[in-house]
Amino acid sequence: MTPKKAWITLILTLAIAWGSLAAMLAVGWAPKLGLDLQGGFAVTLVAPDGTDESTLNTAADIMRRRIENLGGVQEPEVAVVSGPGGEASIIVQLPGVDDRERALQAVGTTGELSFRAVLAETTESLVFLNPEGEHPEGTDETTGLATEDDVNKPAYLAGQDDLLVYAVDGIVVDTPVGTTVVFPTGRDITDATAQFSSQGLGGQWVVVPEFTDEGGEKFREATGYLANFPPGSPQRQLAIVVDGVVFSAPAVADTVSPDEGLDPDAVIITVGTAENSEDEAKSLAAILRYGALPTTFERESVYSVSATLGADSLRAGLIAGLVGLVLVAIYMLVYYRSMGIISIVGLTVFGSFLLGSLILLGETQGTTLTLAGVTGIIVSIGITSDSYIVYFERIKEEFRHGRSLTSAITHGFSGAYRTILTGDTVTFLGAVLLFMLATGQVKGFALTLGLATVIDVFVAYFYTRPAAFLMGRGPLGQGGLFSVRGAMGGGEIIEVKEPVEVSS
Amino acid sequence: MNIVTRMYRGETRFDFIAISRKTLIVSAVFVVASFLMMVVKPFNLSIDFTGGVIITVENTSDATVESIRSELRTVGYGDARVQITGDDIVQVQTEALDAEGQDALTFAVANAVGADVNDLNEKAVGPTFGAEVTRKAIQALVVFLIVVAIFITWRFEWRMALAALAALFHDLVIAAGIYALIGFVVTPSTIIAVLTILGYSLYDTVVVFDKVNENIFEDDTKTTYDQIVNQSLNQVLMRSINTSLTSLLPVGSLLLVGFLAIGAETLKEFALALFIGIAVGTYSSIFVAAPLLARWKSREPDWARRQARADKRSGASDDRDAAKSAGSTSKPRGSKSQKDEEKSTASKTAAMPPSDVPKTVARPPKQRRKRR
Repeated sequence: MTPKKAWITLILTLAIAWGSLAAMLAVGWAPKLGLDLQGGFAVTLVAPDGTDESTLNTAADIMRRRIENLGGVQEPEVAVVSGPGGEASIIVQLPGVDDRERALQAVGTTGELSFRAVLAETTESLVFLNPEGEHPEGTDETTGLATEDDVNKPAYLAGQDDLLVYAVDGIVVDTPVGTTVVFPTGRDITDATAQFSSQGLGGQWVVVPEFTDEGGEKFREATGYLANFPPGSPQRQLAIVVDGVVFSAPAVADTVSPDEGLDPDAVIITVGTAENSEDEAKSLAAILRYGALPTTFERESVYSVSATLGADSLRAGLIAGLVGLVLVAIYMLVYYRSMGIISIVGLTVFGSFLLGSLILLGETQGTTLTLAGVTGIIVSIGITSDSYIVYFERIKEEFRHGRSLTSAITHGFSGAYRTILTGDTVTFLGAVLLFMLATGQVKGFALTLGLATVIDVFVAYFYTRPAAFLMGRGPLGQGGLFSVRGAMGGGEIIEVKEPVEVSS
Repeated sequence: MNIVTRMYRGETRFDFIAISRKTLIVSAVFVVASFLMMVVKPFNLSIDFTGGVIITVENTSDATVESIRSELRTVGYGDARVQITGDDIVQVQTEALDAEGQDALTFAVANAVGADVNDLNEKAVGPTFGAEVTRKAIQALVVFLIVVAIFITWRFEWRMALAALAALFHDLVIAAGIYALIGFVVTPSTIIAVLTILGYSLYDTVVVFDKVNENIFEDDTKTTYDQIVNQSLNQVLMRSINTSLTSLLPVGSLLLVGFLAIGAETLKEFALALFIGIAVGTYSSIFVAAPLLARWKSREPDWARRQARADKRSGASDDRDAAKSAGSTSKPRGSKSQKDEEKSTASKTAAMPPSDVPKTVARPPKQRRKRR
């Protein structure tokens, strides 16, 4: 290595380490915090034995959708995992969620899909009364009028206390009055697919449902009933209701006659040609297929952290990390003198890479930094410090065996690097295994630890080596107590002849 | 020159092998005691393993243990464990409950302390789930050990792998014993800490073995395995001490913050296990792994022959004197020399031609270490 090469390597490494972190922070990226650090709610749901993966994925999709409906959830994470014992489970993590009840409801209830007739479209607040004739929450005690203009709530129409009425997005639906028509439910549908139909101008997205024989008959009757209403009437719509929410309300086509209804084998629901039609069609298909959760889940574990506790933990972790760093820095300075500067700057290089990787993983993979991850970082301070110690001790040893300072620095590296590589490999192996085998917070710890070992090997080669090389040649190399030579414990080589007594 | 300067310069000449019989016995005693401790006083397992519900919340309304308990009694959980900690945190713990039970309990606790239900910190774990967490952790541990053994065998040799695993076992058992003794709650964080301990202990051991290997490669044919191990231990001594210190400093501050700050429960649990582990791990790589390796390797025919020759060289000098001044690497045998003397005499007469008698005093290590 020539000084010129060393300078180039050193400056490049520093620029990449500090520059990339600064760039990420500048565009507002920050590590994603896990719910134990920012507060939130996690629940593990276990499906019955033998539930297949597609069922689980569907359930996860539905949960995700329901959670999105909750609003205010920053990054809901709904993951299908095989539980610790291989059982099929779903882990729902809702960082920042502060409404426990609704969150549990969103993931817990199986819910129901049904088809309903539309009574009316309205933008007015409705008069609500429940089947017992009482005013439910959110209505005025005397008038029975809704006090909150919240049409998203299941509601009951006054005076018709045997009828459930839902009002959503201005669409009021009902089981039909005065008829014997039985409307189909989710159980009557066997399948539904989103397709691109070439019919119409430039084609459009449609959903094709399939019914059971019995369901098909219900569907035929229901659409026949709706076809009694004139085209354009809101009552000609068939509402698809999930968990008391109208998901969609397609109108029965003008050509359908009341006597025949729609042929269940030739039903298509057109969604449209708009840009988001594909997504809409797919989610409608999913709803029709599994409007309700396709299976019942057992709530296996619940974990909720209040926002204050999360903030406290984060602060505690940061303080511990900083205090630890400062202590290590002081120790390295005192013990290794000017070489300590290399390790201190090196810690910032290491830290920049580690933090940068975590931010990057958070942005691209949604990886969150948990308390276990923070402890992993604190532990990795020890790992990277060790690499410097191995190297510096090596330099001292080479120096004592008669090498010149610069030669000891150069030769010491190859030996030390082999040791660092071996040690880091062992730790890395452990981290990878932990990551693969363990669950939950152990995984987060393994991730930071594994990253730390890789970064450590990298930093040792591209930062420590050129930095030590240059320092040995620079003004801090030869002169004074604080110099590299000073850290060797004096300038002369002393032959030790007398044996040291050892007390055992 | 005083001992500190010597250590700073990396010029110590401790005879670790000489005292290894004693240290190994001490370690064995500790391991056995730890096992006994685990039997007598089983681990205090957290609900993550046993299943259960824990709710913690800040006591905002001067609720007492009695008032909380009477509130819980109304929903049928009067037998829940209720604690109020020094910093006024209410903690309620029960066995595993079904979803309805959990919810009822949660609301009852919120009522009792006058807190919003969303300000509660709750952890509920089903019983089967907890058992699986344990099983999974053990599985990870076993696979880890196997892979590490394979790696060390490949990188060094199988005896080193065996010695390293022995040291790991030693660390694990002692750390577990201390945990059982203190009665600290064992949580998943503890498991993480234990796995980290394994990492540290291994790393330390690997660094020693790496040095041993390097010294074997460089040394002449007269040095015994004991001497090489001793020399290597002295060479890495300062690294071991410094690394332990720089690792313990952050962990120590973690521990401190854990004890001082609220909401740092996880940190505290983690830091304590780490602190114990790093300390024991550093000790074991020097006083368990290396001596065991030296013992096993010295039995190999090649090294046994060298040992015999070395013993013969120094055999004339007073044995007891030699054991005392064991610091000098020129005197290879310490406390176990008596027994080995017999063995080596036997092999000497059998395998050694009498012409092979070297100088009576081995060269000082400095000279030998000089590069050629």
